[in-house]
Amino acid sequence: MMLQADSLHVARSGKEVLSGISFSVDAYEVYALLGGNGAGKSTTLLSFLGFLSPTAGSVLVKHTDVYSDIAAARKAIAYLPESASLYEHLTAQENIAYFLQLAGMSASSPAIDAALDRVALSPNARRRKVGGYSKGMRQKTAIALAMLRDTDILLLDEPTSGLDPNAIDEFHQTIRSVADSGKAVLMVTHDVYGACHAADKIGMLQGGKLKGEFAAEGHGIDIEAVRKAFSATVVPS
Amino acid sequence: MSPIWLVATDEWRFWLRSHIAIGGMAVFLVLIITTSLLAALRIEAETYARINQQDEAEKTFLTQPDRHPHRMVHYGHYLFRTPAPLAQFDPGLDLITGQAIFLEGHRQNTAMFAESTASADFGGLSWLSPALVYQLFAPLLIILFGHGSIARERETAVLSSLLAMGITGRKVIAGKTLALLSMAFLLLLPLIGSGALALSASEPVSSVFLLFGLYFAYLATWVVLTLMASVVLKERSAVLGVMAGLWLALALVLPSVAVNVASNTVSAAGKIASDLVMLADLQELGDGHNAKDPAFKRLRADLLQEYGVEGVEDLPMNFRGVVAMESEKKLTDVLNEYADARMHAEIAQEKVVAKFGWLSPVLAVARASRAIAGTDLANYHHFQRMAEAVRFDFVQGLNHAHVHQLSYRDDINRNRDEDARLRARVDASNWRVLDAFRFQAVSVSERFGNASSAVYMLMAWLVIMLAILFWRGDKLTP
Ligand SMILES: Nc1ncnc2c1ncn2[C@@H]1O[C@H](COP(=O)(O)OP(=O)(O)OP(=O)(O)O)[C@@H](O)[C@H]1O
Ligand SMILES: [Mg+2]
Repeated sequence: MMLQADSLHVARSGKEVLSGISFSVDAYEVYALLGGNGAGKSTTLLSFLGFLSPTAGSVLVKHTDVYSDIAAARKAIAYLPESASLYEHLTAQENIAYFLQLAGMSASSPAIDAALDRVALSPNARRRKVGGYSKGMRQKTAIALAMLRDTDILLLDEPTSGLDPNAIDEFHQTIRSVADSGKAVLMVTHDVYGACHAADKIGMLQGGKLKGEFAAEGHGIDIEAVRKAFSATVVPS
Repeated sequence: MSPIWLVATDEWRFWLRSHIAIGGMAVFLVLIITTSLLAALRIEAETYARINQQDEAEKTFLTQPDRHPHRMVHYGHYLFRTPAPLAQFDPGLDLITGQAIFLEGHRQNTAMFAESTASADFGGLSWLSPALVYQLFAPLLIILFGHGSIARERETAVLSSLLAMGITGRKVIAGKTLALLSMAFLLLLPLIGSGALALSASEPVSSVFLLFGLYFAYLATWVVLTLMASVVLKERSAVLGVMAGLWLALALVLPSVAVNVASNTVSAAGKIASDLVMLADLQELGDGHNAKDPAFKRLRADLLQEYGVEGVEDLPMNFRGVVAMESEKKLTDVLNEYADARMHAEIAQEKVVAKFGWLSPVLAVARASRAIAGTDLANYHHFQRMAEAVRFDFVQGLNHAHVHQLSYRDDINRNRDEDARLRARVDASNWRVLDAFRFQAVSVSERFGNASSAVYMLMAWLVIMLAILFWRGDKLTP
């Protein structure tokens, strides 16, 4: 088990935002968290990173309680934040090289270029500073970085937001091959069809509670069932 | 490479790509280099002028013709204070205290401003010294460079990415601190230039080192304060606002409050008021020009008894000279008493201002800087004491000639006719009571001693703020 939440309760600013959710993500698995705005998806990711300590329950990364060794958990995870956070004064190349060096990895230009090729960031853009990038270009850079981190676990918060349809398809393929190489991927998304396409499991989050899980059987996940469940969660009850 | 080093080098990369940072740096460098050069030229011109004036004054005195020795006591002499070598970096009190004293018998004059040549004046900008540029403007540059260090990364959310990668808050802050400290070090390089010039004017290397260390600690304090604001506050604009306010308070408001408090709590009697009291005291001593003044009755009786003679004209020395000598000594004792009281009052005021160094590192660094440069109150008092020693020696030297080289009879008859006047003279070789004078600033060890308490204050500021920063840095949140 790479990631595991056990009756996780988390409060932010004194208000409970996660009320006892339990799920787990294994190696070779892509797990998609679906849910409306404010459901607690990002909060769940932050809990795995040790940014928000649980009021009850626990979060485990590689069988170890996150809050007993935050540094170890963070080292095992590549995290793509909700809004791609990059240094504006650096180019895509420089951003990735800098972050990789900070993570204690060597950052060769060919490897970085290859990763940027995979997310299809135009070579022209790579030489410019991120300060002048569009949202999608930033997102591509951040995805390339997360892939290059080569960690056992990826936490991706709305990785496809801002991407054009081609890039989204490309991304789903990439994610699939990453998981197939033995990594665990937990991603947050609003894209029902994409999630069904790329994920092995889907968790439906509403009001801080897990309202259902859908797993792939035979020919993938039942899109209709997920779509129905999703509409139910976003309609105020 | 360690994350600390990486963060530090990236910060430099950010500055080098920022027009504001480069522009700010350029303006500062122009300011510090021009003030340093102008100050160096000014001090060189001034040193040259003072030495010339001193030599001129000595020559004039020595070339006076044969005269009655007491006329030379009133003819007087000038002493000039050459600036300390490091005055080109920090002129301190030199700007508001005189450099020339007129020495004469029976009085202690206050120092005047020696005339300065126009070329040494540089359009009245002499108050803007390199020290002042470092004390007031360098912190602004550090705020400009450092305000965004953490807040910028929080605003663009890269901070959360860093923390999520397992880089600790302390390491991020240590990297930013390292970058800003290296920047502070660069800002101080022109100080080494000023120091090198001072070294060539025989300033010991230890004081230049200490001065460099002092300003580095001072700028480091601003680095830490700026980082603290950047860690605690959410937005760059808030950090800028708070730091600008802090700068105003520490650099402008507190110093003037300190001076006000000092002048209100310690009353140094005004010069005129204390002079009036002193005159009354002096009158009781008797008039040294009048050997018949009842104040010298006792002296006369003692001498007559000692030499077993009937009248002062039978004494083997000139009684009028003896009276002049004795009265100068008594009078000097009283004058010194008043001078000491005045200096003590000034020191007491300075001590009150000094205590405010606990509240403002600007005050602490300013005081330590003046002390190390040898341009503080202690140095000015040192000049006054030196001048008084010279005055007393030369007056008593002339009185000695009066006692032994001029007979009492010739002396009292000096106004009878032209011949008598000529007889009442001593040889001009007696004017050599003067030694060639060169002002020497207080010794280095004494200067360090004067600076020590302010240095401790600054160190306390730095250590406490650094401890708070790193304690707080452990809890750095995105
Ligand atoms: N920084 C914060 N401080 C306090 N409360 C917060 C904070 N961020 C989020 N919350 C609250 O936590 C709850 C869950 O927010 P979260 O960001 O996890 O939602 P989400 O599912 O990621 O939504 P979205 O789809 O809009 O990204 C919300 O009710 C929100 O108001
Ligand atoms: Mg979210």
